[in-house]
Amino acid sequence: MRPWLMATMLGLVTFALVIVQQRDVGITRDETIYFAAGDRYVDWWFDLAHGRGALDEASLNGHFGGTNNNSEHPPLMKTLFGLSHRALHGGLGVDELTSYRVPTAALHGALVAIVYLWTTAIWGAAEGLVAALLLILMPRLLFHAGLACFDAPMVAVWFGTVAAYWKALSSRRWAIVAGVAFGLALATKHNALLLPFGLIAHSIVVGWRGMRADWGAWRGEIAGQAAGVKLRATWRLFVRRQWRHERLALWAMALVGPLVLIALWPWLWFDTIAHVRGWIGFHLNHVHYNYEYLGDNWNHPRFPWHVPIVTTLYTVPVVTLAAAALGGRVLVARWWRDRAVQLRDGEQVSGVGAVEWPAMLLFLTAGVAIGPFLLGSTPIFGAEKHWAPAMPALAIFAGLGVVWAGRQLGAAIAELRPTWRDPLSTAGDGMKRLCLLVVGLCVCAAAAVEVRAAQPYALTNYNALAGGAPGGADRGMNRQFWGHSALGVVPFLTSEAALAGRSLRVYTHEASMAWPWYQKFGTVPSTLVDSGNEDAGVNSSDYALVVHELHFNRHDFMIWKAYGTVQPVFVLRADGVPIVSVYKRPPKPAPAPAPAPAR
Amino acid sequence: MPAKPGHGARMLPSARLRSGLLRVFPAMILIGLAAWEIARVRAAPGGVPGDEDWDTAAELVRTQFQPGDLIVFAPDWIDPVGRLHLGDLIPLDAAGRMDDARFGSVWELSIRGARAPEATGEMNIETDTGGVTVRHFVRPAAEVVTDLVAQVGKAQVTGERDRGPTADLFEVGFAPHRCVLVVPRPDRTVTITYRGIALGKELVGYVGLADVFKRRDVRDPGRMVVSVGEQEVATVTVDNDSGWTRFAAPTAPGTGDVTIALTAVGPTAKDRLLCFAAEARR
Repeated sequence: MRPWLMATMLGLVTFALVIVQQRDVGITRDETIYFAAGDRYVDWWFDLAHGRGALDEASLNGHFGGTNNNSEHPPLMKTLFGLSHRALHGGLGVDELTSYRVPTAALHGALVAIVYLWTTAIWGAAEGLVAALLLILMPRLLFHAGLACFDAPMVAVWFGTVAAYWKALSSRRWAIVAGVAFGLALATKHNALLLPFGLIAHSIVVGWRGMRADWGAWRGEIAGQAAGVKLRATWRLFVRRQWRHERLALWAMALVGPLVLIALWPWLWFDTIAHVRGWIGFHLNHVHYNYEYLGDNWNHPRFPWHVPIVTTLYTVPVVTLAAAALGGRVLVARWWRDRAVQLRDGEQVSGVGAVEWPAMLLFLTAGVAIGPFLLGSTPIFGAEKHWAPAMPALAIFAGLGVVWAGRQLGAAIAELRPTWRDPLSTAGDGMKRLCLLVVGLCVCAAAAVEVRAAQPYALTNYNALAGGAPGGADRGMNRQFWGHSALGVVPFLTSEAALAGRSLRVYTHEASMAWPWYQKFGTVPSTLVDSGNEDAGVNSSDYALVVHELHFNRHDFMIWKAYGTVQPVFVLRADGVPIVSVYKRPPKPAPAPAPAPAR
Repeated sequence: MPAKPGHGARMLPSARLRSGLLRVFPAMILIGLAAWEIARVRAAPGGVPGDEDWDTAAELVRTQFQPGDLIVFAPDWIDPVGRLHLGDLIPLDAAGRMDDARFGSVWELSIRGARAPEATGEMNIETDTGGVTVRHFVRPAAEVVTDLVAQVGKAQVTGERDRGPTADLFEVGFAPHRCVLVVPRPDRTVTITYRGIALGKELVGYVGLADVFKRRDVRDPGRMVVSVGEQEVATVTVDNDSGWTRFAAPTAPGTGDVTIALTAVGPTAKDRLLCFAAEARR
C-alpha cells in the first residue's frame, strides 16, 4: 500500500476514534473559555471580511484583548474551534460540543498520519505503522485529543515542525514549510518557544563535520592575507554557513514563524511588543495551581524533579514504554557499531551517523519538551499534557523496538528451526513477518486495553504499572483536573429533579463554568439551576457536588457545615475511585408539635 | 552464519542456540509484558469493593455501633464511599475531631490492605465482607475536662487582628478540623487567655494554617506559644506544609489560666489563618 494512502487511513481512523470517545467526556473548565473566545474571534474575522470596521482599535480590543478574550493564549485553535462550530453546527447541524472539538481531533489525525509517513520514510513501513498505532493508543493523549484545548494540537504542530525541519535538511524549499509550521505552533501555544532549542542543538550536531571543514578551509584561506581579504573570507564563510540546509531552516523559522503568528493574531497588529510581552509575561508569572503528586499537594516551587518521569511511567502504556526503551537501545547499539566500524577503518568519527540523525532529532526535541519540568520551578499542574510533544518520539522509538524485536524473533526461529515451513512466504522473510505481526498485535492489544480502561475519565486513570485508577489513588497521584467528570452525575441530578417535580438549585463546584454550556447544549436540564460559588452557592443550594481533588476537600467541609451532614447521596467512581460526590440538603426537621392545651 | 537448510537443526552448536535464544528474548519480554498489562488492567477495578460489599460491611457496623463510636476509613481516598454508606453515623464533631484520643471505640473499614492511623487499641472484631475489612478497636478514651475550642467565647482576646477568633470547621492540612481561627495582622500577636479553666494532667493541642490558597500565596510562617499560668509550656511554629501540628504539656490538675499567643511571623505575613484546638485532659 502506498504510504500516503495508509497515512490517510490512519488519520481518518484516529479522527473517528477521537470523535467517538469524546462524546462521553464532559466539558472541561478551560474549554468554556476557548468556546467563547473562539466564537468572538470568528465574529471578528467575519466583520473583517465584510468590512464592518473590524480594524479599529476598539474592535480589536473588544474581540481579542484582555483576559475576557483570553489574550494570554494565541488564537489559532480558538479560531478553528469557532469556525468549526459555525460551519459544522451552524451549517451542518453537528452537535455543538463535537463541533467545537473537531479541529483538535482532525489535527490529532494529521499527527498520526505525519508520524507514520515520517517514520516510514526513515525506518520503514512496519516501524511507521506500529509507531502510529502506539501513538493513537496513548490514553491521556487520546483524551486530550478530544478536547477543544491546545495541548493535543500542540503535539501535532510541534511534530509537524520537526518533520518539516527534517525535510528541510535535504531540500531548501522545505525550510519555508518549517517556518510556516513553526508559526502555526507559535499560534497554538507558548510552549512552541521551546522547540527551537532542540532544533538548534540538532543543527549543530548534524552540521558539526561541515563546520569543521568550513573552519579549516577558512583558516587556510586567510593565512597570511590582508585584513580586507580576511574580512571577505569571513563573510563568505558566514554566508556559506547560513546557506547550509539546517541553518536555512532555522532562519526560516525565525523569520517566517513570527510573521505567521502575527498574521493569525490580530491582537498583535498594534502595540505588538507590549502585547507579546504581556503574553509571555503571563506564562512566566503563571499562578501555580494545586496538583497532587505522590500523596502531597504541590502549589509552589520547588517541585520534585521527577514529576515528568514518574507521571510518564504511570500514564503511558507499559508495553509502549518498554518497546521505546528497546528501540532506544537498538539505536544506540547501531550508533556504537557504526562508530566502531569507522574507528576500525580509520575514518574520522562523525559522532553520529546518518541513520541516527533523525533519532537524535527526536531525542533532542522530546528533551526540550520535557526538560523544563525536571527543573523543579516550572508549573507542574498540567502534568502530561504539558510535555505531550515528547509523545510522538516515544511512540516512534516504541515502533522501532517492536519491529526489531519481532524481526529478531523471526530470525531466531528461522535460525533455530530452518526446516520449518515458512507459513506466509517462500521468499524467506515470511517468518519474520509473522513474528512481527504477533509481537505488534500483542503490544497494540495491551495499549488498546489501557485506552479502553481509561475512557472517559482518563485523568483519573493510570497504567498497569501504577495499578489502574485504584493504584494511582493508592500512590497519591492526581485524581483529575478541569472538572469534566461532573458530567457523570448529571443523570442522577436530573432524576432527582424529576422526582422532586421542581427546579433544584445545585452547587456545581468545579463545573460552574461548564454548567451554562451544558444547559446551552441541552445536556443539563433547565431544572438544575447553578446556585453560585463558594459559601453563598452552597448555602443557597438543594444539592451540592464536589469534584474530588485533594485541595478541593474544603468544598466537602463547606457543604458539611451548611447541610449538617457528612453523608453524600451519590458518589461517582472510576474503577472504584471516587471522582464526584453529590450531597443533598436534608429536609429541615419538622417543628415540634405545639403542647396540647390544658384542660 | 546461516545454517544450511535441512542440516541446521542436527548440527546446531550450543553457541548458535544461545544466540537464538537471546534474539527471542526481547520479543518474549514484550509479549509477556503485554499479557501482564492486559491482565492487570482488567483486574484493577476488581480491587475495589462495590456498593453491595459496602452495604454488607455497613450493616455489620450498624448492628453494634454505639453513639460516640468513631468510624474511620482507609485508605483516605475511599472516604467518600465510606461516608456514603455510614455517613449518618458520623457527626460533624467526630469528622472534624482534633484527634481520636477521646474515642474509646473505633470502627475501621478498610480496603486494599490499608490501615487508618486511628485504628489502635485492642481489636475485638475483624471480618472481611467482600473486600471491605471491618475491624473494631477498644481502648481507654482520653477524658476531656476543658475543650478550649468550645470555651473560646469566654476567653479574653487582645492583639491586632484581621479576623477571629472564630470556632468552626476549617480545612487544615487538607483535613477537616473544628478549631479556633485567628488571623493576626502581619508581625503581630493575638493573645487568647482562658481564665480559671479546669485542667487535668495534660494539655494537648494542635495548630495549623487554614485555607489551601492562602497557604499557596503567602509563604510566611505562623507561631503559637502556649502558657499555663505564667509558664510557657509549648511553642509551635507552622508553615504551609506543617499540616495539623501537635503539642502536649503536662499540667497540674485543678484550675488555672491558659494563654494562647498566635503570631503571624514577619512583616509580609498577611492572611495567616492560624487555627488551633486544645483540650485539657484528665
